[in-house]
Amino acid sequence: MASTSTVKVLQKVGMGGITGNRYAIYVSCAVLAVLLVVPSLHNGYIENLMRGVLMFATLSLGWNLIGGYTGYVSFGNVVFFGVGATTSAVLWQHFQQQNILLAIVVAAFVAALMALVLGFPILRLKGHYFGIATLGIALATQEIIANIDWLGGGSVTSIRQVDFFSSYYYAMWAICALSLGATWFIARSKFGYALVAIRENEEAAAILGVDATKYKVFAWMISAMMAAAAGAVFAGANGSIDSPTAFAVDNNVFPIVMAILGGVGTVAGPLVGAFVLTAINETLWSRFPEIHTLFFGAVIVIVVLFLPRGILWLFAVRGGFRGFVNSLKAYRV
Amino acid sequence: MSFLQVEGVGMRFGGLQALDNVTFDVEKGAVLGLIGPNGSGKTTMMNVISGVYKPSAGRVRFADKTIADVPTHNVCKLGIARTFQIVKPFASLTVRENVAVGAMYGREGGKRSTKGSFERSQELLEIVGLARVGDKAASDLTIPDRKRLEVAKALALDPDVLLLDEVMAGLNATEVDEAIDLIRTVNGRGVTLIIVEHLMKAIMSVCTSVVVLAEGRKIAEGLPHVVVQSPEVIKAYLGSRFAERQAQLEEIKREADLARQVEPGAHA
Repeated sequence: MASTSTVKVLQKVGMGGITGNRYAIYVSCAVLAVLLVVPSLHNGYIENLMRGVLMFATLSLGWNLIGGYTGYVSFGNVVFFGVGATTSAVLWQHFQQQNILLAIVVAAFVAALMALVLGFPILRLKGHYFGIATLGIALATQEIIANIDWLGGGSVTSIRQVDFFSSYYYAMWAICALSLGATWFIARSKFGYALVAIRENEEAAAILGVDATKYKVFAWMISAMMAAAAGAVFAGANGSIDSPTAFAVDNNVFPIVMAILGGVGTVAGPLVGAFVLTAINETLWSRFPEIHTLFFGAVIVIVVLFLPRGILWLFAVRGGFRGFVNSLKAYRV
Repeated sequence: MSFLQVEGVGMRFGGLQALDNVTFDVEKGAVLGLIGPNGSGKTTMMNVISGVYKPSAGRVRFADKTIADVPTHNVCKLGIARTFQIVKPFASLTVRENVAVGAMYGREGGKRSTKGSFERSQELLEIVGLARVGDKAASDLTIPDRKRLEVAKALALDPDVLLLDEVMAGLNATEVDEAIDLIRTVNGRGVTLIIVEHLMKAIMSVCTSVVVLAEGRKIAEGLPHVVVQSPEVIKAYLGSRFAERQAQLEEIKREADLARQVEPGAHA
C-alpha cells in the first residue's frame, strides 16, 4: 500500500518524474498572468508586497536548482543577490547607468562568473561541508564589499529611481517568469536528469557518464544568475542599497524555507512557497507585531513536521485525511 | 595484443594490501569469471578496472588507454560499464528514467535526444525483463529487480566490456537461470564480460576462463573446470586441512583403483 502510493505521489508532484506536476504549472502561469495587472491597481502597498513575492520566488527558484534538484544545499545564495544589488549600485554611482536591463545583464554575468570560480573548489565538498562553505562565502563577501569604498563600502549608496510605469515591478515579474520557465525547461532536459542523478547518487551518476563537477557548477551558475538579477532590480526599486540590506539574513533563509514549503525539487514549488510564506508573514506581522517572529518560527516547524515534501505534495495525496496520514507515515518512519 | 590488460595492479588502503601485483588479460568476446573467497579483492579489482579507484601500482590498459588516466565519468565513453554489488539506483526516479540517464550520458548519449534515450531505455527494460515495472520508482523494486536495473543501466552505456559485480547474489534458482540466459544473450551481442560471482553454478556454466584471487593475489587462472580442481584454489577456499584431506582421499582412491586392477588377475 505504502509503496504504490509513494510512487504515485512522487510522480504527481513531479519528484519522481522530475518534470513537474502539470496542474501546478498551469496554476503558476495563471498566477503570474494575474500578477501582471497588479500595477494597474495603483495600490503602492500591494505592488510592493507582490514585487517582494516575485523577488523571493526568483531567489527560491534559484536556490531550488542547486539545493532541490542537485541536492547541494547552499546556505549562501544570498551572496549572489547581494552581488547583483551591488553591481546595480556601482553601475549608477560610477558609470551613471540607470538602464534596468543593463543592470540585470551585468549583475547576472558577474554572479555567474563568481559561481564558476567558487564552484570548482567548493562543489567538491559534500553535504554539510558544502553548506558551511557557502555560508562562509556569503559572510566573507559581505565584509569585503563593506570594506571597499568603490563598491559602496559601509555606507548607503543611493540609486536614482526612475520608476515610470512600474518598470521595476515588471522587471521583477519578467525575471521570475523567466526563472520559472528555465526551471520548467531544465527539469525535462538531459541536464535536469543529470542534476537529479547527482543528487540521488553521485558515484553511480559518474559511472553512467555524468560529469558531476561540470553540471554542478553549471547549475550553480544558473542559480546565481537568477539571484543576481533579482538583486539588481531590488536595488533599483529600493532606491538605495547598503551591505546589511543586500546581504540580509531574510534574503538567505526565506528562499530556502519557501522552496521547502512549496516542494523541494519541483518546478512550481518555490513560487507556491513564496506566496504562502509571504501571506503568513504579512498576516502575523499585522496581527501580532511584537511577537510575529515567534509565530513565524512555529509555522515553519509545523510545516516541516507535517509537510516534509511541501504543499504541492498535498495535491497529490488521495484518500482524504486518512491518505494524508498514511503517506505521512510512509515518509516519516 | 589482447583486448583488456591488467598489468601488475596493486591497491593499498592504509595498512591493507587489497590487491598485490595482479596480472591477467581478457580476450575480446570472453566471459571472464573473477572468483575468490570473501575479502580476496574481487570488488576492488572491479573498481580499479572501472576507474572508480586509481591503483597504487600497475595499470589497466584498454583501447590504447590507461584507465587511471581517464576521469571516472569518461570510462564509460571508452566502452567499459559496470554494475555495483551494493546496488545504487536513483531512488526517486522511475525505473525507466534510471536507465534513460545511462542512455543520455553513455557512449552513444551525445547522439541521442531525450526522447531517443527513453526509447532506448524501454528496449533495455524489455531485454532485462523490467518493462512491467518501468513506471515504478526505483526505490520500490525488489532486490532481484534492483539487480536487473543495475544491468539495464550498465547496458544503456552501449559497452564493449561489462563488469557484473555479484548480480546473482540473493536470487532464487529460477532467477539465476534467467540471469545466466541474460548473460549469454549479452555476450552473444559481442560484449566482453567480467563477472564476480560466488555462485559456482553460474561461473561454471557461462565463463570461458576464470581468474582466482586470494588475499589480493592471483593464485590460479585458466578454464573453469580445471581451475576449481587445483589444490591451491581448494586450499584458498576451504583451508589447508581440507586440501590435505582431499589429497589423502585422492591417494586412497588411486590405491583402491590399483587394487581393483590387480584383483581380477588374482582370481583368474
